[in-house]
Amino acid sequence: MNAEPNDASANFAHAVAALVGRPVGSGKASVAPDPVNQPMIRHWAAAFEDANPVYTDPEFAAGTRFGGIVAPPLMLQTWTMATPMITGIAERGGAPVPSEGTSPMTVFDEAGFVGTLASNSEFEIMRYLRIGETISATTIIESVSEQKKTRIGPGHFVTWVTTYVDDSGETVGIQRFRILKFKPEGVPA
Amino acid sequence: MNTPNTLDFNQVKVGDELTPLSIDVTATVVVAGAIATRDFMPVHHDRNYANKQGAPEIFMNILSDTAYCSRFLTDWAGPEAMVRKLSIRLGVPAFAGSTLTYTGTVTAVSQRGTEGTIEISLRATNDLGDHVSGVAVIGLPASGASA
Repeated sequence: MNAEPNDASANFAHAVAALVGRPVGSGKASVAPDPVNQPMIRHWAAAFEDANPVYTDPEFAAGTRFGGIVAPPLMLQTWTMATPMITGIAERGGAPVPSEGTSPMTVFDEAGFVGTLASNSEFEIMRYLRIGETISATTIIESVSEQKKTRIGPGHFVTWVTTYVDDSGETVGIQRFRILKFKPEGVPA
Repeated sequence: MNTPNTLDFNQVKVGDELTPLSIDVTATVVVAGAIATRDFMPVHHDRNYANKQGAPEIFMNILSDTAYCSRFLTDWAGPEAMVRKLSIRLGVPAFAGSTLTYTGTVTAVSQRGTEGTIEISLRATNDLGDHVSGVAVIGLPASGASA
């Protein structure tokens, strides 16, 4: 373990506690650039070779309990993904667009927890989406764990929760996403 | 067109196994999934970039993982099944050139009104170990007056 001055570790603990409830990103809702639409659904169904006819066959879908075409439920996260700026994406470390301001995660990077590992993704789907709906998403940091010893080094699990809403503000789905911010130990970063 | 049928909820029992799904994870599969989910991170489409990050190959993105989980569930349960929850833990990467095999088991069934609920434990494995493991809850239409 690295010995750290007490005031530095107290500052870190304070900064970490202050993260809970903070938005990830600008704090404004991410509004889907396009409403739920058949071309993106067809593209998705083709990519995953998902032949479920409720996604692409209007006649079949009309005869089901959905009453018409619905979007694949796990496309929820796709609707609000940022339209990427392809030029420079590698230089930005994969960030789709140049970031505005500093990420809340810099608190960890500055304290040496420079590694990032995605750990869990949890979806709750309230209802299926229909063509024409515009989805918005708001993400906040829900919790930060105590420091844990892991296989790849000491770290903190950070959970953020994204709430997806429809045009009327009704919640259509919730996603919890957990990452480990860790100090790489004995393995290449 | 050969239209798929939805499972009869009353026939589903704890211990039933889902129809396994095997995915040949080619580079094309990785790239197609990343772009269809609008995830342009270079580790999912640029091998040179992936190599610089210490990965031997491009690898599947998480949105593709959840997409394949939902396909795995509804391929088995049918088009009127609704995915209500999907909670996965992310394990070893799925590199281009590997094969992913999805398996699952029914762990609980319950009925409320005309909606049947099925809980499923699932995993996707490759030659490195568990790529994805977790639980899902799906809903199926159920006759209200079941015995």
